[in-house]
Amino acid sequence: MTQGPATDNPVQYISHHLQPLQVGSGFWQINVDTIFFSVLIASIVMFISYRVGKTIQVGAPSGMQNVLETLIDFVNDLVKEAFPKPNKIVGPLGLTIFLWVFLMNAMDLVPVDLLPKAADMIGIHYLKVVPTTDPHTTFAMSLMIFLLCIYYNIKIKGGLGYFKSFLVHPFGIWLAPINFILTMVEELAKPLSLALRLFGNMFTGELVFLLIALLPWYIIPLPGSLWAIFHILVITLQAFIFMVLTIMYVSLASEESH
Amino acid sequence: MNVTATLFGQMLTFVIFVWFIKAYLWEPLTKAMEDRSNKIADGLAAAEQGQQKIEQAKIEFTTRIDEAKSKASNIIGDAEQKSKLIVEEARNIAKEEASKIAKSSAQQLEQEINAAKEQLKEDVANLSIECAERVLAQEIDKKKHNKIIEEVINSD
Repeated sequence: MTQGPATDNPVQYISHHLQPLQVGSGFWQINVDTIFFSVLIASIVMFISYRVGKTIQVGAPSGMQNVLETLIDFVNDLVKEAFPKPNKIVGPLGLTIFLWVFLMNAMDLVPVDLLPKAADMIGIHYLKVVPTTDPHTTFAMSLMIFLLCIYYNIKIKGGLGYFKSFLVHPFGIWLAPINFILTMVEELAKPLSLALRLFGNMFTGELVFLLIALLPWYIIPLPGSLWAIFHILVITLQAFIFMVLTIMYVSLASEESH
Repeated sequence: MNVTATLFGQMLTFVIFVWFIKAYLWEPLTKAMEDRSNKIADGLAAAEQGQQKIEQAKIEFTTRIDEAKSKASNIIGDAEQKSKLIVEEARNIAKEEASKIAKSSAQQLEQEINAAKEQLKEDVANLSIECAERVLAQEIDKKKHNKIIEEVINSD
């Protein structure tokens, strides 16, 4: 890319930054940057987890094991609050979501131009480094959670019972058609809001970083650092919200019919 | 957003990720944490037990010491009594012995006195007889005295 200062053409600068690195078209369109960074982060987390898991010290834990134990305790407390019965999947699910979302969001804190510029030098002209600013990532997670909820609903209530819950809730059997529509909307809104909340927050966050980057260089440090500090809160909060809502949805799905 | 392979790729990544974390981190680590909390609970219970044992041992210790003390004082008392008895007995025996000795010596003395008296008597008798014999030897008259002797012999 040969370009003058970014401020010469702000629209082009921003849209360039928001353009993912894509391969293929139609169904086989693959956002290489999204997959690369999310899988990279997942691999790093898996590698560390594997190492910690292989060298567990029961006596006095140290280093990374301490950090992970604290996180596990934290997630486990939330799960125990939401679940009357023990559940084997939701704990690791929550922990994974928290770690993954947090670290993918944290890519936001890398200066917006650093990695794209570096990629530009080796001939990759488009790069989005924050996987959670790609709705594919957030919807992938929320849809899997949605499927898990359906699985638990059917497992606990039975197929018929699950269908019945659509008809009788919330107004009783006599308003079955309205109930059906309302419950359907309610159920579909869960994964949709889950995915869009995270995507929206991260996308706008990234957009603000880009807008700050358009300011003259002598103004950038102040709003840039303020927004970055604020964003530390946002990325943690978003990861936490995603995890808590996941635990909530799964616990609602695995409740006995009411 | 279009439904693309990216979405399914991310879904697959997510599933593998969750499975991996569950299998290699969550399960072993929660187990280790549980083990640890059990261990700590056991340790605390053992410590409490140990404390109780110490408490018991202290009580036993003091009672034993008390017992030993009372036993010792009993033994000392007994020994004192016994020694008194022994001394008393010895004193009695000595007294008896002394009185025996005194008695026997008195007896012996008496015997000796008696013997001396006897001896003295004999000596006196012998002396008087000798004196008498000598007196008689000068004055004896066979005829006169034969008559007396015959009379004594015949009177029996």
